[in-house]
Order: sequence, then C-alpha cells, then structure tokens
Amino acid sequence: MTQVRKCLFFTLLGLALLFPHVAFAQESESDVSSGKALYDSFQCWQCHGYEGQGGRSGPRIAQTAYPYSVFAIFVRYTNLMPAYSPDVLSDAQLRDIYEFVRSIPAPPALEEISKLDFE
Amino acid sequence: MKSDKDDRPDLSMDRRKFLSSATAAGAATLIGAGKTSAQEEMSQVDGPVEPPSAAQLQMEDEIPEGYSADQAQDYFVKSPGSDFMLDVIKKIGIDYVTTNPGSSFRGIHESIVNYGGNQAPELLTSVHEEQATAMAHGYYKASGKPLIPLVHGTVGLQHACMAVYNAWSDRVPMIILAGNHMNVTDRRAGSEWAHSAQDCIRVVRDYIKWDDQPVSLQHFSESMARAWKIAMTPPRGPVAIAIDGHLQEGERGDKKLRIPGLAPTQPPIGEDGAIAEAARMLVEAENPIIVVDLMAHDQTGIERLVELAESIQAPVVNQYGRMNFPNRHHLSQGSGVIAEADVILCLELNDTWGTINTMRDRVHREARRRARSDAKVIDIGVKDLFIKSNYQNFQRYYASDLSIAGDGQATLPSLTEAVRSAMKRSRRSSNSERESRWQREHKRSYVKTLDAARYAWDASPISTARLFSEIWQVAKDRDWSLVSDDKLKSGWGTRLWPMSKHYHYLGRSGAGGVGYGAPAAVGAALALRDRGILPINVQADGDMMFSPGAFWTAAHHNIPLLTVTHNNLGYHQENMHLQRMSVRRRRGTDGNSLIGNELRNPDIDLAKIVEGMGVWSSGPIHDPKDLGPALVKAMDVIDQGEPAFIDCICQPR
Repeated sequence: MTQVRKCLFFTLLGLALLFPHVAFAQESESDVSSGKALYDSFQCWQCHGYEGQGGRSGPRIAQTAYPYSVFAIFVRYTNLMPAYSPDVLSDAQLRDIYEFVRSIPAPPALEEISKLDFE
Repeated sequence: MKSDKDDRPDLSMDRRKFLSSATAAGAATLIGAGKTSAQEEMSQVDGPVEPPSAAQLQMEDEIPEGYSADQAQDYFVKSPGSDFMLDVIKKIGIDYVTTNPGSSFRGIHESIVNYGGNQAPELLTSVHEEQATAMAHGYYKASGKPLIPLVHGTVGLQHACMAVYNAWSDRVPMIILAGNHMNVTDRRAGSEWAHSAQDCIRVVRDYIKWDDQPVSLQHFSESMARAWKIAMTPPRGPVAIAIDGHLQEGERGDKKLRIPGLAPTQPPIGEDGAIAEAARMLVEAENPIIVVDLMAHDQTGIERLVELAESIQAPVVNQYGRMNFPNRHHLSQGSGVIAEADVILCLELNDTWGTINTMRDRVHREARRRARSDAKVIDIGVKDLFIKSNYQNFQRYYASDLSIAGDGQATLPSLTEAVRSAMKRSRRSSNSERESRWQREHKRSYVKTLDAARYAWDASPISTARLFSEIWQVAKDRDWSLVSDDKLKSGWGTRLWPMSKHYHYLGRSGAGGVGYGAPAAVGAALALRDRGILPINVQADGDMMFSPGAFWTAAHHNIPLLTVTHNNLGYHQENMHLQRMSVRRRRGTDGNSLIGNELRNPDIDLAKIVEGMGVWSSGPIHDPKDLGPALVKAMDVIDQGEPAFIDCICQPR
C-alpha cells in the first residue's frame, strides 16, 4: 500500500468515526434517473466526466465500489474535492447521485476494443 | 491553394544580386586568408549567379532613361538599406519570417519579396501578430531553429506580447524584428507617429533576453549576430531588434558594411566537483529518481538521459516540457515515485518547489511536502543563470541540497561518466533487481492506463481516450508528431501513444497563454512538412477561438496539418474554478458555473469557420463511430499537402 493510499484509508476511517450520522446512515430509497439529472445539474461531470469515467481532474466514480457512507464522506468531508455541504446538496440528492454512478454500465472488456492497442 | 510566390515573376536573381554577389566574391578573395572559422566573415551571397536581363540592366542604371540626375536621386533608391538587412538575415540562416504586414517595415518587406525572391527566408502571412509569434514558437520546437516574427514596433508588438511571454516561459528562442520610425523630423503625420515609439521594445522587455535599436546598418548587422547568439545560448529565449524605417528605406550608401560571423556559445556545463558530488549522492541512494522538464533540445538529449537512468536504474518522471525520455521505457514512471525517493535529481525543472511539495486548491492554502522529509534534492539546470523580476513564472524558491548551474543536456555525459566511476560492484549488481522492479511497475501502470481508457468508450460526447485512440489508427503506420499539449485532455497522448523521438511530443505553451495551440501547431507543421512527418494537433475549442486565423495561414502556404478538436463547448478549466468557488460559498452549485464559461447558444461551428478559410473540414462529430471514417478522409487531404480539420465534440477532460 502506498503512502497516499495508507493516508487515505486512515483519513476515511477517522472521518467515519467522527461523522457517524453520515457513515452509518440508514439507506433510503433512491432514484437512478433523478440521480442522473442531479449529476448533470450539480455538474459532477466537470471533474468526473459525463459517464463518471474520470480523468486527470477527478477519479473514476462509475460503478464505484465504495459503499454510500464512504462515498458521502468523500463528497462532504475529505477536502480531496470541493466540499458539498448538505445545505447545497441534500443527503437524498447525494444518495440519488450515488445510485446513478453505481448504475453506469460496465465498459467493454479490453479484449473487445481492438483500437486500444498501441504496440 | 497557391502561395504568394506562385503568381509572381521570378526575381530571385536580379541585377542587384548579381552585382552584390560578384562584389562579395571579390571581397571574399581579398579577406579570406588568415581568418579563423568562428570569426570568418560571411560572403554576401551564395549560390549560382545568372546574368541580368536587358530590362534589369536598364533598371539598374545610375540614371534611368528620361530622368535627370537630380530627378533620379529624388525618385529612386538604388541600393536600399533593407537589402543589406536581408543579407544579414540570410547569413544567420533564418528560414522563414512570419508577419502581418505593416508600414513601419515596408522597406524590409519589399526586400524579402523582391531582392531576396521570397526564399530563405520566405515570408509567411499571418492574420495576427500573436499568431505570427506563436508560429515561430512551434517552428522552433519542431526544428530547433529560430524564426523571425516581423511586426510593427507599437501596435504589432502589442498584439504579439502574450505569445512572446509564452516563448519566454518555454525557453524558446526567436528574433523579433519591430519596425519603428525614430527620427521625429522624418515621420509622416498620422500613423507614422501613432506607430512609432521612443522605446518600442519596452512592452516586452520584461520577458525577453535582450533587445537593441540599431542606428546604422553596421550596428544592425552586429546586433543581429548578437541577437542570434543570445537567443540560442541556454537558457534560450526571445530577443528583439527595432528596425528604423529610415534605415530600411534609405540608401545603403557607399560605406563598406560587414556581416560578422556567427559564434555560437557552447552551453554551460556543470562544474566537475559538483558533478562528482551529485554522482556520489545518486550512487549511494537507495531509491534515486530523476525528474525532468525542459531538458532535451533534440534526440541526443533523450539518448543521454536513457544512458544515465539505465546506469543506476533510476525511474524518470517526465514533466513533458519537452520530449525527454521514451514513455515505453521501463524506467518511465509516474510522479508517485517522488514520495519514495531518497535522492531526487531535478533536470531543467522550472518548478523544483512544486515538484517536491504540493499546495492544494483549498480555502486555507497549506503546503505539504510530497517528497520524504530526508530526501536530498540535486538541481541541475540553467534557470538560475537568467531570471527577471516582474513576471513570476520562475515559481517558488526551493533550497536544493546541491544546485548546479549548467545546461541539462550538455551536463549529462559528464554526470553519467561520474556515476559509472563512482559505482562499486555491489551497487552495479543491484541494477538487475532494480530493473525487474521498474519493469513490473511500468507494466502495471500501463495496464491500468489501458483499463481506464475503456470507460466511456462508446459515450457521446466522445471520451478523450477514444479521441486519441481513433487518431492513432491513422497515425500509427506513419512518422508522426503530436504538436499540441495533451495535459488538459487527461494526458492520453503521452499515456497511450508510444513516444521515443524528440518530435513525438512538443510540449506545452510555456505560460498557458490561450491562443497558442493553432498557430504553434501550424509553425510546427511547417517545420515538419519537408521531413515527411505527420503533424497532429488536438485543438482545444476555447484556445482556437483566440487564433482561428492560423488555419488560413496553413491553407495559404500549403502546410499539411491534421487538426482534431477537443471541443468541450466551453472554457472548462474556468468552469471547474467557478464551481469550486460556488461550493466553498455554498451557493449556485446547481448550474451557475456555466455562466461566463460555456461556448453554447449558439454552439460554434468550428468546421465551418475553417472551411471559410479554405481548409477541408468535417464535423461537428458527436458519435465516436463517425470519427474513424472522418479521419481517413482527412488523411487523403493531408496526403495532398493540405491541412485538414475535424471538429469533435468531446468529454470535458
């Protein structure tokens, strides 16, 4: 584990303990289509791309493997990205966005993309 | 499309040139003996000499038919000063002069097209001085040779300013000639006053290396030789000469004029003792790494860095100010290795502090050391040899453990030799283990890159990874050069395409001045045209709207250039900045950051813009499946020696 990853892991662990109301919040029903609309209007795509694919400005979030609680901590408390507070992006809205990015279909397998061959 | 010269009579060898060459030949015979090569005077004109025609002979008569001696003196100039100026420019070996025409340099303009036959240098028409200057920037990076942007000393140089600043920040040499009328009693009323200045170079003096305002032709001759020398001596950079209108347009006179020889300055090399100490530190380090930015002047620089890196199996982090190191070499690594290094060799970094530390864009800006606290830093480069005060592109001060003043490329051989001498057998034997480690890391990183490129593969707008993958399909079987920066396209060019040649990647603008992309690409394409190398410009839309006229220059002068836009319909960097401000202030986060930043309603039809300037174009393309066929058609156009343009609607980054 690199220093950066170690640091991130312990930061998230610490934040989860500091903000249990976010980290261990009861999951509620959410809406993928609403999440897509919110993803667009809150302009998550600016750093993460329209498909959540990420790039140099922000990491890939499509099909995120993080549970919602960790995802929410990233958005609200880590300062790794601009911190979206609950008064501008509610928990319900954030949860919809989370469901949307999780629902983004998997891309084709590498073997299926002949043009990704640069040898 | 025809160039300027196609429809004009061949005046490449007129009577004047014939006479001057004959004079020069005689003079060369007289002065030839006893000169050293570096100081040898240049002959005035080279090449075959044809006898003048009868009409030319008549034109060259002291007193043309039907005129008195006084009339002839009043009406005609027999041997204009700007002809001599052109002789000087030719002898310096300038291939092209980029310009937007202006009356303050009409004398030398006429000399270039008539006396010089518009060859070596050939005049290239730009529609803006900023573009003329950025073309010179791109040309140097693809050829290693400086050009002359020729501008009005006032309004033209004011237009050129930002491009000069880019060149200064990117250490790119060029010799700017600025027309000016110095003698107040000699100016026509009106524009000659508005277009004259007491000190016309002043507007760019903060970000050029040197300038002069010659008061005689001999002064001009010597200052041009000095200008070339200063511009080309590392750290390289732009220089400027004001050329007086009267000096250009008046008679050269009978006074004998000399053109001094060029005496290139050998680049500075790091001091031997310091190099030995640097070698000791590198050899004794457990995890030495090399970070490199503006180092390689040419292919030799790449080869020398490979030698050094392999000798100690140290990973190389290329910051891509230049193409410094093959990106498929197993020692080519990402910046993450900086955190693990115990000795960091910085080669021609403009920003050592920002390499060792980070400062994130947060409300409270706090610096954090990225490198280990005990890591030692060796800094080799020329940045301390020339620095100016006002503009702050020199970045934050860093107290390196060992700073060595010397040109990186020129210093590498002695450093590599010192490293080899300092290596003991045990250290040498550890190289194979290190090599295996970095091979594994390199492979892992590349697989990760390919994996990341899959995401949004079929998306519309088109993903930037797909954009570069599609372009690769038409480039891979040719010799090619990525003439545009790929940083704001998530770096897919340098991450995906195998790069090993110096011209495979030409780096960035230097100062981030917007409007660099298109004209620099055209300048680079010009340099690559005769070498049969395909120039590829992945063009940002916002940048393009500052200088679209560069595409007309490409069409007008038959410069083949493949341009594919990374059109994200706005100033995306600023979009992100405004969103960041909104989030910090907890307001307007749901859409207001587009205000002032998007280029929509109406969407700009970039393909139509360049089509109107005589460039083949296609687009806007939204579906990634349409991009490949458009590229194939574009290559047909390129193969006919013309520029081609595809507008591609893309993901933001």
